Amino acid sequence: MNNIEQLVATLSKDAATVKPAPHPYGLGLKWLGLALAYLAISLAVFGMRPDLARALQNPWFVAELAALFGMLVTTALSAALLAFPDLYQKRRLAMAPAGMFVQFVLLMAFSWHADVPPAPLPAHSFECSLSILLFSLLPAVAIFQILRRYAGTHPQLSGIVAVLFAFTTGAFWLRLHESNDSIIHVIEWHYLPMLAVILVGYWSGKKMLKW
Amino acid sequence: MQQALNGDTQAYATLLSETTRLLRPFLARRLYAGNEVDDVLQEVLISIHKARHTYDGTRPYKPWAYAIAKFRLQDHLRSHYADQLRDAQDIAELENFLPEDVTESGFNYESISTEVEKLPEKQATILRLMHQEGYTAKEVAEKIGMNESAVKVAAHRAYKVLRRRLER
Repeated sequence: MNNIEQLVATLSKDAATVKPAPHPYGLGLKWLGLALAYLAISLAVFGMRPDLARALQNPWFVAELAALFGMLVTTALSAALLAFPDLYQKRRLAMAPAGMFVQFVLLMAFSWHADVPPAPLPAHSFECSLSILLFSLLPAVAIFQILRRYAGTHPQLSGIVAVLFAFTTGAFWLRLHESNDSIIHVIEWHYLPMLAVILVGYWSGKKMLKW
Repeated sequence: MQQALNGDTQAYATLLSETTRLLRPFLARRLYAGNEVDDVLQEVLISIHKARHTYDGTRPYKPWAYAIAKFRLQDHLRSHYADQLRDAQDIAELENFLPEDVTESGFNYESISTEVEKLPEKQATILRLMHQEGYTAKEVAEKIGMNESAVKVAAHRAYKVLRRRLER
């Protein structure tokens, strides 16, 4: 009996009943639900921005919120698909956050262009990035922990998508919490750190999602 | 696979054997040495076993198994080339302190074996297995019951000692 035959015999002896992983759509929806619940609880604790009704009259703000929600949905779904070795054979859907990210960047560019005259800059700056990062920490740790139980074959990409999911949750929260109409501030201190977060996601995925 | 997930050992053994038959040519086309194919195949089978909860029987099995095989193959090739690079650096270091004519006349293990035998036993064994008998660091690790990184560290230390001694 050669090594392979021995291994097959050993592994087959260990073939106890295994509970299959849930469908990635279910998994993605579950993560999305948890993120929205976290968002709702945090907004209940920290409060909504007092001028939300007025801000919602601005179509660019509504479009930004819609794009953030789109990012949240696509990253949740993509992270769930990337948890499976074969991406559940839905490769295009797994890559959806890339398209959504491009749309988001374009939207922010148009919003910036439409911000005439520019809204006054708030007094604070990096505090926003810090708040988003702190807010994102819990969902990021949770999603990494869950992903480690699966068997993704694209650890770097999984890492990027997972941290984007967490960061988007944080960015969504801050847009609904903070009274601020300055699109330049929002781009600079809310969304530019996303690029750094992508690098962190790449590195953490490589280190933590290998199996 | 569905039967295997339900705990049917016979079905699982058949599935793993069929998977072996399926993946062997795929790996053999991408690897040079026969023993490498067997090594990677074993890693793939273990990975399939570990990841079997991510297959639910509702989609084709082959793409799932190939995805795992490709992942493990890339892992293997990455560490293989990293090893080769490290070994190449070690040899380059060794050549730096050997007299030029020794290199040109075909430096081999025998020419420094006396110095190697003066090294601590473990280091000497590692160098002998790697350079005289041609084992890889991974194979040496398995043979002497150490982990691969420890073997590489010990070999590296041995090269440094040899360099100091031969430089004198």
